[in-house]
Amino acid sequence: MNIATEREDEALLIDRLRAGNAEAFQEAVRVYTPGMLAVARYYTDHSSAEDIVQDCWLTVVGAIRDFEGRASLKTWLHRIVANKAKNLLRKQRREVTADFSEVLDPELDRRFKPNGRWAEPPRFTTTESAEALLENGALSDCLDKHLSHLPETQRSALMLYEAHQRRSDEVCNILDVSASNLRVLLHRARQKIFLMVEQFQETGEC
Amino acid sequence: MLMCRDLAIIASDYLEGELATADRLSVKMHLMMCRHCRSFIGNLRNSVELMRAHSSQSLDPAYAHRLDEEIARALAQQQPKGDPD
Repeated sequence: MNIATEREDEALLIDRLRAGNAEAFQEAVRVYTPGMLAVARYYTDHSSAEDIVQDCWLTVVGAIRDFEGRASLKTWLHRIVANKAKNLLRKQRREVTADFSEVLDPELDRRFKPNGRWAEPPRFTTTESAEALLENGALSDCLDKHLSHLPETQRSALMLYEAHQRRSDEVCNILDVSASNLRVLLHRARQKIFLMVEQFQETGEC
Repeated sequence: MLMCRDLAIIASDYLEGELATADRLSVKMHLMMCRHCRSFIGNLRNSVELMRAHSSQSLDPAYAHRLDEEIARALAQQQPKGDPD
């Protein structure tokens, strides 16, 4: 779908939401909730995240009439979730504990010699496209498993980065991280997937 | 001189075109000479695409249903019917 059509569809949806159409809300819940949960999960645990997102939707019922459309609906919803999550953290006097210190995954770092050259180089070069690789259901399951084992901060950053068409500024704003820290989170997550794919292609095991 | 480990550190930035010209050229030079790093960059690019192609976002149906119910309740409260006045 091209961007113009997406915007038109979104404008139609917003009109129906403003009119208080319950079906429009059901549609919006299914489109936007996964991203909203990703935002909340960056800040807090699973069950609090669900509560925050529910609270956000109830806020939206009243606030959609004031939505001016300066940001996309998605960005607006993500900001509401982020604000609620940050308020909750503040009340609980907690902070997000993301690790930005190591740019290299320790498992990958071990594969270099002290002089900075490869000790254990990549074991082969992937030649198949992502789509072709995903036709292997076992790899797809393995990817699911590894994505679910990533630290929440890395997984949320990754998901939001893709959800926002790789616009770092949007994601930094929502997650309250600097551009360089966001890059660390993304790079760490990608290295994990690199290591997983390598292991899978070599052994056929997850 | 850029070493393999240095390249691994900035590999994501390279793939996204976020590097300054001088660094970008150093990476390109290194890649011309080092097949291991060519494999690494190629596989990392593939991992990025793999996640992009795979990022299906499923929603727990029971949770979605709960949201529908809560929203319906809020909508009903917002639009009181038959105001006694």
